[in-house]
Amino acid sequence: MGMLYCLMSMGINFIYGIMKVINWSMGEFFMIGSFAQYLLLLYVFPVRFWYAGVVVAAAIVFVLGVVVQYLLIKPMFVGIIEAKMEYATIVTIALSIFLRNVAVAIGGPYIYTPPDYAGPTKLLTLPLSGNRVIALLGAIVVLGLFYYFIKKSWPGRAFQGVAQNRSGIQTAGVDVLKYDMLAFGIGTALAGAAGALLAPVFLVHPACGAVPTVRGFEIIVVAGLGSIPGILVAGLLLGIAESLGSAFISPSFVDIYGFVLLVGILLIKPYGLFGKPERAV
Amino acid sequence: MGCSASRSEPFEPHNSKTCAASTSLLSMNTRLLKTIGLAGVLAAALGFPAVMSDYWTYVLTIAFFYAAMAASWNLLAGYTGQFSLGHHTFAMISAYTSTLLMAKAEVGFGPGIAAGILLAVVLSWALGVVCLKVHGLYLALITWAFAEVARNYLRMHFTFTGGDRGLDSALLFGTLKPLPYYYLFLGILVITVGIIAVIMYSRMGYYLRAIRDDAIAARSMGVHIVRYKVLTFIIASALAGMAGAFYGHSIGLISPVMGDFNEMAMIIIFVVIGGMRTQTGPVAGAIVIRIALELLREQSEIRIVILSILVILIMRFFNGGLMELVHRLPQWLHLGGRESVSAYDK
Repeated sequence: MGMLYCLMSMGINFIYGIMKVINWSMGEFFMIGSFAQYLLLLYVFPVRFWYAGVVVAAAIVFVLGVVVQYLLIKPMFVGIIEAKMEYATIVTIALSIFLRNVAVAIGGPYIYTPPDYAGPTKLLTLPLSGNRVIALLGAIVVLGLFYYFIKKSWPGRAFQGVAQNRSGIQTAGVDVLKYDMLAFGIGTALAGAAGALLAPVFLVHPACGAVPTVRGFEIIVVAGLGSIPGILVAGLLLGIAESLGSAFISPSFVDIYGFVLLVGILLIKPYGLFGKPERAV
Repeated sequence: MGCSASRSEPFEPHNSKTCAASTSLLSMNTRLLKTIGLAGVLAAALGFPAVMSDYWTYVLTIAFFYAAMAASWNLLAGYTGQFSLGHHTFAMISAYTSTLLMAKAEVGFGPGIAAGILLAVVLSWALGVVCLKVHGLYLALITWAFAEVARNYLRMHFTFTGGDRGLDSALLFGTLKPLPYYYLFLGILVITVGIIAVIMYSRMGYYLRAIRDDAIAARSMGVHIVRYKVLTFIIASALAGMAGAFYGHSIGLISPVMGDFNEMAMIIIFVVIGGMRTQTGPVAGAIVIRIALELLREQSEIRIVILSILVILIMRFFNGGLMELVHRLPQWLHLGGRESVSAYDK
C-alpha cells in the first residue's frame, strides 16, 4: 500500500526540489485526476482502455498545473514577492480550498464509483483486489518512466541542475523559469496520474485527495525533503508499519502507527532518513 | 516616516522607545486616538447585546472564538513565521479533554478546562521540540499530519470519544441563552489579544520578528531561536486550547468537525483578509467575515470559494489585507497618515 502513495510523494518532492516550495494543493490535483479519469471512462474511452484515460488525465492535470504555476507561483521568482515560504504556503492552501469547494459546487458532495479496471485476482493463494494490483503496477511503471526521464534525458539533466543550483544552471544557458513551470506541471501530473490510477480504489469525490496527501507528506518527512530514493524506502516502511500495527494491535488506529513512526524517526534523525541538513540556521 | 528606518521593526512605527526622536504631536495624537478607539469598541461590544437579538449575539460569540484563534495563529505564523497547520486541532483536543474528564472522571469545570489547556501545552511542546529544530516547513508538514491523525483517532475510537456523532458537553452556565457566553468569549478575546500585545511590545516580540525576518542574523545576534520558536508555539497552542475548551462548554456539543481542515483554512482566511502582522487585523477579519458569512447563508458553497479567491488575490497583489486598507485610505484621500503596515511594499 505504501508504494501507491509514492507517486504523490514523488510529485511533492520534485516540486520542492526544483522550486523549494511545498504545494499544499497536491491532494486537489489528485482529485482532479480522479474526476478526469471518471469522466473520460464514462464518455470517451471504453473501460478496457483505462490506461489511455490515465495518460489523458495526467496530461489535463499537467496543463492545469502549468497554468497555476504561471499565474500564482511564478511571481515569487521575478521579484514581486518577498517572504516566499509564507506566500507559497498560504496561496497553495487557499488554492486547495478553492478547488475542493469548486468541485463540491460542480459535482456535489457525492461519491462516484468508476468501473473496475480488473476483477479480483489471486497471487498463488492470496486473494487480491485487481484494482490495487493494477494501481501498484501502474505506479511502478510511471515511477520508472519518471526516473528514466530524470536520469537519462536532456531536460531531466537540466532539472537535476536546477535542483542543485539555480543560478549556476542559469549561467549554463538553462531557462530556469521555464523549467520551473514544467516542473510544477510534471509534479502535479504525477499526482493526477496517481488519482487516475487509484480512482477505483479510493472512489471519486471532492475530498478524495486528503488521505493520499497526508500519507504523501508523512512519507516525505520520513524520507527527508528532496530525497528521491528515500521516498521508496519510506513508503514501504510506512506501509509495513501500518499493516503490522493493524494486524497486531488494532485496525481502528491505522493512522497513528505511521505518525508514531514518523515522530520516532525525526527524534533520531531530524532531517529524515535520507535528508541532508540544510545550511545550519 | 522617521521610524521605519530600521528594517527590523517597520510594523510598530509608533513605538515610542525607538522613535523617541520623531515622537511628534502627530504620533501622540495617533496614540490617543487609538486608545479612544479601543475603549469605544470595547464599550460598544459590552453594550451590544442590549440592542441586538439573541441570534446576532450568538453569531458574535462564535466570531469572538474565531477571532481569538486567528489572533493566536497570527502570533505564530504572522509574527514568528512558523506555520502551524494544526492550530484548530489543539482547540479540539482541549475541548475533548475537558469534556471527557468531566464525563468520565466527574471533575469540575475548572480542573477540566485546566487539564485541556495543559494537554495542549504538553503536545505542542513535544511537537515543537521534534520539528522546530529544523527548517520551518517541517512544522507545517508535521502539524498537518498531526491534525489528520488526531481527527481520525477521535472518529475511530467511538466507544470512548463518541466518534462522528460527537459528545454532549456540559454547559458552563447551564443555559443555552447566548448572553453569558457572549461576555465569556469577549473576555477570552481580550485576554488573548492582551497577552499577544504584551509579548509583541516586550523584548521577546523583537526576537520573534527578528527570527521571522532573518533567522541566521537573529542567531548571530544572540537570540536563542529554537527556544523562542518552541515557546511561541506553546503559547499560541495554549491560547487555542483555552478558546477551544470554553468553546466546547458553551456550544454543548463537540465533534470531530472541529478538527476538519476547513476550520484551519477559515483561520488562515481570517488572518490574511484581516491583515497579517497586525494586532487588530485578525480580530477585525474574523468578526467581519463571520458576519458576512451569516448574511450569505443562502449561498453556502459559493461563499468559501469567494473567500479563497480573495485570499489568493490579497496575497498576490495587496499584501496586508483589511488593516492595510484602513491605513492606506487616508493616504489615498490625501490626509496624511502613516505608511503601510506591510514590510513588503516598495
